[in-house]
Amino acid sequence: MIDIDRRFGPFSGRVWGLIANFAANAMALYGLVGYLRDGTHLVFLIGGLLVTAACVLLLAQPSR
Amino acid sequence: MTEVPSYPIAEKVSPEELEAEVARLDELSKSPPFKKGWGYLRLGGPGFIDAATTLGAGTLTASMLSGAMFGYKTMWLLWVSMGLGMFMMAAAARFTCRGGFRVIAEQNRYHGWVVGSLMTGLLGTAAVAVIFNYGQYSLGTHLIESLAPMLGFEFPRQVNWIVFMAITSAIVLSYGQRGRKGIVLVESFMKLCISLMLVSFGICLLLVGVDWGAMLHGIFVPWLPSGVEGVDLFVASSAAAIGVMDWVLFQYAGLARGWGRKHETLARFDIFVGLFLPFVLINFLVVAVFAGTLHQVGGTHPESATELAGALAPLLGPIWSQVLFYVAFLAVPITTTVGMSLAGAIAIHEAFGWEPDTSSWRWRISALLPQIGFLAVWYPRPVWLVIAIAAFLSLSNNIVGWSFYLLLNDKRVLGEDRNKSYGWNAGILLLICLLNSVALIYLFNRFGWWIR
Repeated sequence: MIDIDRRFGPFSGRVWGLIANFAANAMALYGLVGYLRDGTHLVFLIGGLLVTAACVLLLAQPSR
Repeated sequence: MTEVPSYPIAEKVSPEELEAEVARLDELSKSPPFKKGWGYLRLGGPGFIDAATTLGAGTLTASMLSGAMFGYKTMWLLWVSMGLGMFMMAAAARFTCRGGFRVIAEQNRYHGWVVGSLMTGLLGTAAVAVIFNYGQYSLGTHLIESLAPMLGFEFPRQVNWIVFMAITSAIVLSYGQRGRKGIVLVESFMKLCISLMLVSFGICLLLVGVDWGAMLHGIFVPWLPSGVEGVDLFVASSAAAIGVMDWVLFQYAGLARGWGRKHETLARFDIFVGLFLPFVLINFLVVAVFAGTLHQVGGTHPESATELAGALAPLLGPIWSQVLFYVAFLAVPITTTVGMSLAGAIAIHEAFGWEPDTSSWRWRISALLPQIGFLAVWYPRPVWLVIAIAAFLSLSNNIVGWSFYLLLNDKRVLGEDRNKSYGWNAGILLLICLLNSVALIYLFNRFGWWIR
């Protein structure tokens, strides 16, 4: 299991995870806009939701 | 042995009083559930201050509009949004009771001055208190003006703002005075106003009647308007129920009470019974009253709280019920002004590293800054400032949420008292996703990517 409290470059894994989660939220919303407008961008919507779920599950780990 | 309070306002609480409170908590922990609940209810307070602050002109207007437009259908949003907020409030309680530190100071230390003093203190709390108090003044003075003729006299806004200012300033300035008594006075005032809102709106609901089936359906079965309107409504409601100001106010109000390790159960009870229940129940009542009246009438509805209240009043029937509704509704802007003023003063002191002394002129001036909202009687809020603050809030609330999550999981900050619960972290992260969505929707709107 990854130690998300370890430092990776300038930030800890937790901070990188929050940044990745933000990007995934953006992707999901971008996909949602396309889907609501004309039924397109479904890949972005599903991909964004999956990455968001992965980030939440990973970042919910308490620190060791 | 009781821990030594680390917050100057708490130093005015005598050690004997704190010892007695801790002994009472020990006794209550072994009592039967009803006695325990009643005892905690009497000892709680910061949660009630938070509820009374959150239940302001904006929240109540949203509930009135929601009831008038969608009937009972969006009631589920209220408990879901406040429920998600509970995870972050529990983090604030942990910082107070186990950490014993001031959260903005710790943010400054570990995440920098921009996140702590600027985003959380000055803009996320103090600026919000000043700017959003215009709305409270506008609503409060309109309500007094509408209420007076029912009692047989005229009291125009151009004069009645003085009464609004006198009442709210007196209560705000009593906080922290005469040891614990001043804090208890403010907390008791908030509890009394919340009780008044619950009873009065409850009576109004009994008068207009309830469609129990539709209400239960609206509470437990999720429904949203179709398309982008539904997304906007869900994200805005979920993320706006409680925000940075509520997290900060609860954390420091607990510190001011001298809460320590043995108070964490009380703090959690206070979050649930003092904040969650009043917020949800009062909003339920308001939505249901408007769902049972204006929604049934149909057609277009006014959009301001004053006009909505004016449209509702004749439908309530006897004059006493209209008076009751207006009096309860008046408690909304009064308590919010009090809560926001306290939050603003606390945040200004923390942001500049000043020690809070409630007897000092610096504290008094900081606490009375939101009273500039009296200008709302003559002028609308400065639009450019509202837009700037709203934009900043949209873009920074999530960063403050990140910061709270990181502090809760940081061994350097909380040591062995850091969060060890997977579910608690998951709840906070879901709230963070919603706060991220608010920031992203704001950006998408600016770039013209969001659907209108």
